[in-house]
Amino acid sequence: MARYGMALDYKNCINCKACEVACKEENGVELGAEKHRIWVGANNPDGQWPLLDIASAAFLPSQCQHCDDAPCQEVCPTHATYYDENNVVRVDADKCILCSYCMNACPYDARYVDDRTMTVDKCTFCSDTRLARGETTTACQNTCPTKVRTFGDLDDPESEISELLRTREHFSLKSHLGTNPKLFYLT
Amino acid sequence: MSVEVSRRKFLQGSVALSVAGASAISATNLFSSEHASNKHQPTDSRIPSTITTKTGTGEAVEVATLCEMCVNKCAALARVENGVITKLNPNPMFPKSKNMLCPRGNAGIQAAYDPDRLKYPMIRTGEKGKGQFKRVTWDEAYDAILNGTDKFPGLAKILEEEKDNRSSMLFCAGEGMAEHTFKQFYQAFGSSNWLNHASLCLQTVVSGYGVTLGGYPQSDLDNAEYIIMAGANRAEAIVTPDTMDCFKRTKGRGAKLVCVDPRFTNTAAKADKWLAIKPGTDLAFVLALTYVVFTEELYNKKYVANYFNGLEDYKNSVITNKYTPEWAEKITGIKAKDIYTIAREFMMHAPKAIYYPGRRSTFATNDFQLRRAQAIFQALGGGIDTKGGLIFGKKLKLGKHEGLEPLYARAEARAVSKKDHPKKGESGYDDCAIVSGGGSWIAWRNRYLEDRMPYKVRGMFCYKHNPMMNMPNTKKTAQMLKKMDLVVTIDTMPSDTVMYADVVLPECTYLERTDPVKTFGGVEPSIAVRNKVIDPLFETKPVRDILRGLTEKISKPLFEITKKYDEDVQDELEDSDEAEVYAEFDLTLPFEGTQEEVNHHMVASVYGEEAAHKLHKDGVFYPDMDKFYKKIGANEHQYYPEKEKAYSVRGGKPKTPSGKVECNIANLASKGVDPMPVWKDEYNFKVEEGKFRLLTGRHAQFTQSGTSNNSMLHDLIMTNFIWINQRVADKKGIKFGDMIEVSSKTGSTRLKAYPTEKIGPDTLFFIHGFGEESSELTWAYKNGGNDNAVIEDVVEPVYGAAAMHETNVEIRKV
Repeated sequence: MARYGMALDYKNCINCKACEVACKEENGVELGAEKHRIWVGANNPDGQWPLLDIASAAFLPSQCQHCDDAPCQEVCPTHATYYDENNVVRVDADKCILCSYCMNACPYDARYVDDRTMTVDKCTFCSDTRLARGETTTACQNTCPTKVRTFGDLDDPESEISELLRTREHFSLKSHLGTNPKLFYLT
Repeated sequence: MSVEVSRRKFLQGSVALSVAGASAISATNLFSSEHASNKHQPTDSRIPSTITTKTGTGEAVEVATLCEMCVNKCAALARVENGVITKLNPNPMFPKSKNMLCPRGNAGIQAAYDPDRLKYPMIRTGEKGKGQFKRVTWDEAYDAILNGTDKFPGLAKILEEEKDNRSSMLFCAGEGMAEHTFKQFYQAFGSSNWLNHASLCLQTVVSGYGVTLGGYPQSDLDNAEYIIMAGANRAEAIVTPDTMDCFKRTKGRGAKLVCVDPRFTNTAAKADKWLAIKPGTDLAFVLALTYVVFTEELYNKKYVANYFNGLEDYKNSVITNKYTPEWAEKITGIKAKDIYTIAREFMMHAPKAIYYPGRRSTFATNDFQLRRAQAIFQALGGGIDTKGGLIFGKKLKLGKHEGLEPLYARAEARAVSKKDHPKKGESGYDDCAIVSGGGSWIAWRNRYLEDRMPYKVRGMFCYKHNPMMNMPNTKKTAQMLKKMDLVVTIDTMPSDTVMYADVVLPECTYLERTDPVKTFGGVEPSIAVRNKVIDPLFETKPVRDILRGLTEKISKPLFEITKKYDEDVQDELEDSDEAEVYAEFDLTLPFEGTQEEVNHHMVASVYGEEAAHKLHKDGVFYPDMDKFYKKIGANEHQYYPEKEKAYSVRGGKPKTPSGKVECNIANLASKGVDPMPVWKDEYNFKVEEGKFRLLTGRHAQFTQSGTSNNSMLHDLIMTNFIWINQRVADKKGIKFGDMIEVSSKTGSTRLKAYPTEKIGPDTLFFIHGFGEESSELTWAYKNGGNDNAVIEDVVEPVYGAAAMHETNVEIRKV
């Protein structure tokens, strides 16, 4: 029983996509450009060569925000989307009827259709792979060259993530929507 | 703060993914009966049925290995479930790669399970270069190498006709942990013709730093406060540990990063300042920085007094030549005020300031002098062999392993072309001033094609090397391969070069073999090993086993030829027993025993049995590892305590024979090379009206052509695009995705357009390694553009390296 979240030191991100590949290999995600559980958003820099605005060219690693108040879970008519015992937002493929309400409801575009099972799929925080084996990191955190991610239990005040969130400024994506994401971007 | 990029926006905005969905490929190939799809169609139960395999929660074996998806050799732990590799994880115990695997490292699984892999030995049956082969047994392949077929001669015929001139065979290899194994074959065979990747890669940087500082240093980016990264792109061309160390402290977090690059790279995006320099003019930039340092006396006077040779000469040269920032602004396009600021800031932070050496290919003909100038500039701040600067570090010893280097009386010296009567101060060779160990690939190739060899070279052995893709002017390489009587390739993939082979020997991938143990020097030195994760698939073998089999076949028959022509051997045979004489020529000797046994001996003989076992188990070993290594956070490990780190091993003293930084090298002048870095008019950036300078480079998702057929990486980057300035593209009516033909005197290639402001109006760029012509490569075949079909074979004058950014091209929309 935990409340898992993730802190992202996103300024470290070099957009190498190691996390995307690690995620696909670990979780057996199918190939295809749109079949991503996680991704890195990249903005082109503003301005004209050679006067480009470096700050505008940020990389933003992202994935399911595992919201405490997840719109995807609210709209699911079959309760396929649920919170597991660690407060991770999961999809029960057996219950999913691919109505795609959740995909539309998610403000973060975190969901996609797995063409093999014809159900909705998304980040699981490696719950059924790494965590199920007793490991303490997700595949994306573990492989990251610049160590963007810190995964851990938000309810454990001793955890590294709790310490980070106490001591570093951070923000959440689209916080005005009241979804209460469990992904935190460190500034 | 509101940087929010959604999946939808990401999909629209990303170059790689704008080509919707997976492209439909349905190549049936000659090498396997499989069709390319999201699924493997395995004929072997040890190959997974799907491309990605979800890791399980049941029983698994973990094997420590080293990655070979690029040259870095990062440590990995392979997870094996039911004989199938399901995941490659970073091995946290290795100080060099510090618990990380990049996208390519993660995608290594797909190298092992690539459906297009070479699976069994093959012999050419059709016209050379057409890729028509028949499957044979290993013995038949070895026999064909020795005795030839009706299509090509074998070694016996060649050496007989060339009267045992062992140098009539060329040996070439790409970089890798087993390159050494192959080189032992070259040495035992007795040829003098060895070509490796150096002249297509880092020859000039390694040599430039070598002659100036006495060694090619590493960078302590973990502790530097100021970093100039010019012509290096560590956010995309990943090097460990540099990439991990560099970007954690930029953006106002402890290290200021100045990126100097004609393109706005990912490194530029992570930098604090980006300067768009004109291609090939970095030397003028460094000379101007040096000018500021000399005129404002910003250098470290104590360091310079202790460790410099020829300082006054160089200072005099830089000042009298008036290499002012204003002068450099006109050449480089970088504002004079920026140059003043950078020079002052760098020296203010020195010795914790780094002018990053880089390790890329040679781009401009002045590259050797550029590296010399960088090294001297760095040393002026005293940042040599010191924390936060450039460091030499420590290297752990390994035990000896015996090789075999017989002397063949009839083996000619290296096929270089010496000038008959060089004038005083002129280079002694036709191609370049200095002939290095790795040779000059393009100069050698061109001389071979032009029949300017001192004797006949008839064939070549090519290991893990793809000359068709890796060097400028692909057409000439094809001609060279066609002209060779016997081409033997040892490779894992049916590359463009393999298509020109007479005999194809399939090697297993790095995940299926144990390679020679290696020691990794640095601030935190260690020894690491690549252990075999799974047994070789199909009929493939490690190169060591391949060479054992081959030498068992050819050693004695070739010795018979030596007996016939070699006067020294004939003399010896008069006095000694034949078996005794043959022992010196027994090509099988270097390959006796298994690699595991050799590795064990090399470690146990120095560090003891336990260390050897530990290395095998953990993949990494260094003395006191038990005491020093510990996890200190979710993302951090300690390898050595701070006081044990080898920041400084010589008290700052350079490694040159004189123990000084060499500014003015008279020996170079005698070879026709400028003894000090100077600027010359011919170095100026010039592009004719209507043309563009073509730049090439790398990114994080592919390593040259070696990974071009990787299904997972292909999933990330479908193809390469040509960067063209947005405004130029608008004027020409070129839109994103339009097919563009790029052409030069050398040839042409086609690829899709990516209009962007990240590149200047007179410059084009695309990633190297795409556009292969081998139809046996499902994902790589004719996918994107091949830079080397267009790049001209410009020979860098000092070492004969290929200068890759000296070609102006035309483009048209097709």
